Amino acid sequence: MQNTIEHIIQNHGTAKEAVIPILQAIQKEFNYLPEEALEMVCGFTEITPAEIVGVASFYSQFRFKPAGKHMVKVCVGTACHVKGADLVYDSLKRVLKLEGDNDTDPDGVFTLEKVSCLGCCSLAPAVQIDDVTYGHVTPGTSKNILVDFIERNNKGARKDKVVVDAGNLQGEVRIGLGSCCIASGSEEIRQAVEETVAKDALNIHIKHVGCVGMCHQVPLIEVVEPEKPTRLYAKVQPGDIRYILEKHFRPQGFFKKLKTSFEAMVETIQDDSRWEGIEKYSIDVREKHVAAFLGEQIPIATEFRGIINPSDMDEYLSRGGFSGLKKSLELSPGEIIEEVIRSGIRGRGGAGFPTGAKWKMVAQQNSSEKYLICNGDEGDPGAFMDRMLLESYPLRIVEGMLIAARAVGATLGYFYIRAEYPLAVLRVREALEVCREKGYLGKNILGSGFDFDIRIKEGAGAFVCGEETALIASMEGRRGFPVFRPPYPAESGLWGKPTLINNTETFSQIPWIMSQGADKFAIIGTEKSKGTKVFALAGKINRGGLIEVPMGITLRQIVEDIGGGVQNGKKLKAVQIGGPSGGCIPHFLADKPIDFESLDEAGAMMGSGGLVVLDETDCMVDIARYFLSFTQDESCGKCTFCRTGTRRMLDIMERLCEGKASEKDLEELETLAGWTKKGSLCGLGKTAPNPILSTLRFFREEYLAHVNGKCPTGKCKSLVEYSVGENCIGCTICAQQCPVDAIAFNPHQRHEIDTTLCTKCDICRQACPVEAISTG
Amino acid sequence: MIKLKINDKNIQATEGESLLEASAKAGFMIPTMCHNGELEHFTSCMLCLVKEKTSGKLFPSCTARAMEGMDIITHDEEIAEARKVALELLLSEHAGDCEAPCRVSCPAFMDIPLMNRLNAAGQFDEALEVVMKDIALPGVLGRICPAPCEGACKRKPIDEAVSICLLKRAAADLHEKSPEFDKNQPNGKRVAIIGAGPAGLSAAFYLQLKGFQAVVHDKNTKAGGALMHAIPDEKLDKTVLAKEIEIIEKTGVEFKTGVEIDAEAFGKLREEFGAVVVATGDYSPHMDPWGLENNGRQVLVKKGSFLTNLDRVFAVGNVNRSVKLAIRSAAQGKEVATAIDQLFNEEPVTGESRMFNSTLGRLLPEEFGEYMKEGSKEKRQHPTGEKRAGYDRELAQKEAARCLHCDCRKPDSCKLRIFAGEYQASKKRFAYSERKPLKKIIQQNVLVYEPGKCIKCGICVRLTAKQKERFGLTFIGRGFDVEIGIPFGKNLEEAFEKTAKEVVEACPTGALAGF
Repeated sequence: MQNTIEHIIQNHGTAKEAVIPILQAIQKEFNYLPEEALEMVCGFTEITPAEIVGVASFYSQFRFKPAGKHMVKVCVGTACHVKGADLVYDSLKRVLKLEGDNDTDPDGVFTLEKVSCLGCCSLAPAVQIDDVTYGHVTPGTSKNILVDFIERNNKGARKDKVVVDAGNLQGEVRIGLGSCCIASGSEEIRQAVEETVAKDALNIHIKHVGCVGMCHQVPLIEVVEPEKPTRLYAKVQPGDIRYILEKHFRPQGFFKKLKTSFEAMVETIQDDSRWEGIEKYSIDVREKHVAAFLGEQIPIATEFRGIINPSDMDEYLSRGGFSGLKKSLELSPGEIIEEVIRSGIRGRGGAGFPTGAKWKMVAQQNSSEKYLICNGDEGDPGAFMDRMLLESYPLRIVEGMLIAARAVGATLGYFYIRAEYPLAVLRVREALEVCREKGYLGKNILGSGFDFDIRIKEGAGAFVCGEETALIASMEGRRGFPVFRPPYPAESGLWGKPTLINNTETFSQIPWIMSQGADKFAIIGTEKSKGTKVFALAGKINRGGLIEVPMGITLRQIVEDIGGGVQNGKKLKAVQIGGPSGGCIPHFLADKPIDFESLDEAGAMMGSGGLVVLDETDCMVDIARYFLSFTQDESCGKCTFCRTGTRRMLDIMERLCEGKASEKDLEELETLAGWTKKGSLCGLGKTAPNPILSTLRFFREEYLAHVNGKCPTGKCKSLVEYSVGENCIGCTICAQQCPVDAIAFNPHQRHEIDTTLCTKCDICRQACPVEAISTG
Repeated sequence: MIKLKINDKNIQATEGESLLEASAKAGFMIPTMCHNGELEHFTSCMLCLVKEKTSGKLFPSCTARAMEGMDIITHDEEIAEARKVALELLLSEHAGDCEAPCRVSCPAFMDIPLMNRLNAAGQFDEALEVVMKDIALPGVLGRICPAPCEGACKRKPIDEAVSICLLKRAAADLHEKSPEFDKNQPNGKRVAIIGAGPAGLSAAFYLQLKGFQAVVHDKNTKAGGALMHAIPDEKLDKTVLAKEIEIIEKTGVEFKTGVEIDAEAFGKLREEFGAVVVATGDYSPHMDPWGLENNGRQVLVKKGSFLTNLDRVFAVGNVNRSVKLAIRSAAQGKEVATAIDQLFNEEPVTGESRMFNSTLGRLLPEEFGEYMKEGSKEKRQHPTGEKRAGYDRELAQKEAARCLHCDCRKPDSCKLRIFAGEYQASKKRFAYSERKPLKKIIQQNVLVYEPGKCIKCGICVRLTAKQKERFGLTFIGRGFDVEIGIPFGKNLEEAFEKTAKEVVEACPTGALAGF
């Protein structure tokens, strides 16, 4: 062990700030943090025992107990929550025979944990086992995914990549490789494409593109033939790839052609519906619903989405990349700031502080060292904008950071990226390397005499670190405790030096502003909220995904036009916006234009931009409890109002969901929410009561129903009982699937549920072919 | 120099000075617990919230810097409510008793745990002095008291309650030198007491200690009231009573025995004396002409002060209650002395005030072991020898050592207690969920750490880091579950190689306290 630790320290240094990378390296090695290893680190570095234990126990990434061979992560993000993630978690717990606090099965194979958001909201509920993501998991299928994973794992390693001749290209196949695409199986699609290309000796370019935004259609591939309209295929399966490709491209060489046609024929004979089948995947951008999905959108941060390869510098340049930087290098720092101020852009991280004003504050500071940080610590459950931007447009963000650095006189930049986003880290690392190679980073950038470089810091799992002062603490290798502002980081930030911190999305819009001009940006949006905003649209919606829309658009336009309406023909109840800091906008306010001010008025906030659509079957009390339990869990514990206030509010919410709260408790909840908002130290605590206050404001009658022991939507488990209705056909499916034998096996008779045994896992209700099982 | 307004007063502050410091200099003391001038501030307790007048925003004054043109309010109704809520939230997770439950349930509020500790150490003289701070007749009550304290004893559900009543008797019986009392200089003021029972005797004793001249009138020739005349000898050896009356008399009390007080005499007493205490035991119809408001059986008095409807006339003991209990009468006699003191000092006459008291409630079975760390494992001791015998020294010590030290070790300096009292905070308001199981971590003869009493202000963490302790303390975990602990499971001795005294001093509550 000592050698390993020494090696890790050699890589990361002995300074206090190295503590998080060192801990991450140790955990990677041992899959938990052995105490002995930590003691060793203290022996070799400046880090004290108090510091290392304090830091290790603060961040949720770190484990102190050995984990099983494979990590099973159940996403409990908002979209997954509303689609029953808790039931999936409970069922996995049951399948793995986990009792009490134990998170690893008796054989040490699987370790089960909840994660706040995997960012595959369109596949909800999602479960990730190591690097395989399973979407649309139900309590009934939870066992199947474990079996499937073991089978895959036994199949062994993947094949090597194929090399394609770059000359004489027949065309291009674009494969989305954003996290949600990968989660939906685009990696298998990629393999199938590569296999077909090798087998048929196709001379086509396989191109990896970032997130296309149409997460409801993943996995997607796009086939580009010269001089022809591009074809988009949605929800494709690996087995279909060959047919799709062969439809567009002729295999090379006569012999091969013959051979493949013969094979193809054989297979076609086996299943002659194939060709038609492929057509069903095909979607045309001119088709109505696709046009609607894309129609209202204005891509700025997401410009050229689905077209450009994230780390391909030449392509970025050919599409106007770095022209914003070039223009900025001709301007004085003051002129850049003026341009940004004129554009009216406000911080996209949530609070909407004017970006130009922030830059001006940093620029005015007199210091030989200034830092710049790109805040990519997106932790909201139900939000994945930053992740998609980092994965798909790392070069654009680097360009935005360079422009900002030049404007404020920053000497070193950092990406602070959430630990749960390994792909984003990888893509950004690639982008930084290529930028250094091509002279966009380092000394004398583009011969302008301007020096700047950017490093990456990875978070370690703490939502509060999205708050800028906590983020700085984390970067300095401390517990992510926020501090009171002022002083603002603009005056005294990282290492006490003036520091500019902007959200990822903000940086990604800067190049466009500089190249297209502030005026062009400022005509988009509303009077006080300019430009566009990227939202993650998820929940009970037909077409979820990432969208970039002009400020001032209405929720109804988003839900109806872009999102194609509420799923399964249900009625819109509310849209949760802004995640745990935001609130629920009720359906009757859906025609209000969305901007920073209007959301504030409605008791929500922009937050980082998660939009979760809720339908009439969603319980608003449960939603509020869900968000509060998230913030309560993520509270750093520093100030009284947040540490204990959120806990006591959650106590009351839990009572409500169990039907044990009184009207007096409800009053106390409201009072406490008010004080927590007013008295907390940082943004986390100050906004934590929002989900409660907004639902209390618009859905008070639901709270009162819970006081009276009723959950009108039947979502609160303690308040419902499962029963079998008269339309039961006695098919015994429910009895076969019940994991606790609460339904007797009586064929051809109306089944009965023994409520004393029932664990309310919902499997029977989902399994019943005639919807005879109901809750009430 | 920075110019700003605090509570409408123009103030000058220096660059970088906090609002807390600037306010203090201007004479406005803002409450705070987590602030420690020697250490970097941490902004945790949020008691120091102040308001910016223009925006109405609240912010922590320990960290917010004084800035040019600020207009700050440090005290108003809203701020007080915010502080109260902060305190109530802290109290909702505060697992500890300020005062031991035995003391709280003792009508005389006698410091039982301290008496026990002195008894356990064989310091019976000192133990008696502690008892007599609140109970003027320790030997008597050590024999006849029904001991409500023992019902509340935390040891009771573990095995058996500590034998508190007999230990009080032991202090009274086994002391060697005569007890000494803090006594004020005579103030020349005279108070008449009617009745020489437990209430009257107690009132006289504590009035004397406060510097008054007490004159006790009684119809019987022998003092003692019901104790002397109603309790059988086999229950109470009258020589014990006589001895204790003697101690009381020695403080300078004047006794006028064999005097019947009628309406006329009563009127005279009211003229002659600065105050009159009615401690007649029963209320009888012949007292009607005195003019005391009554319900036919009891005199009606104001709660706390024992003032009657008549100016400067008080009534204590059984005369104001239907439930007869000697210890309650003795307690009221003590309390009325305070009320009379207030009367003569022209202060509001409210009687004795008690500090805020946090109560832990019942111990969970899994917590028994934690509490037993402080008491001897012995079973309850029973006096040997004849019936109704008391303890000898050895048994008394042995029994007293069973006490679990439930009382807080910082009852007077705990800031949470002080501010909870000041802002009238309730511990119950946010008591929505079960408390975390409590722990007592002890370094014998040095310090005791009780995580349940911690407010997570981190003063100890910063202090041990500043003093470069090898291990020191650290925050472990996050959010509501955060706890202050010692890294790598080391013990307290390893945590504090040099700072034990300092952290005890710096901890604002009883979480870290001297052994």
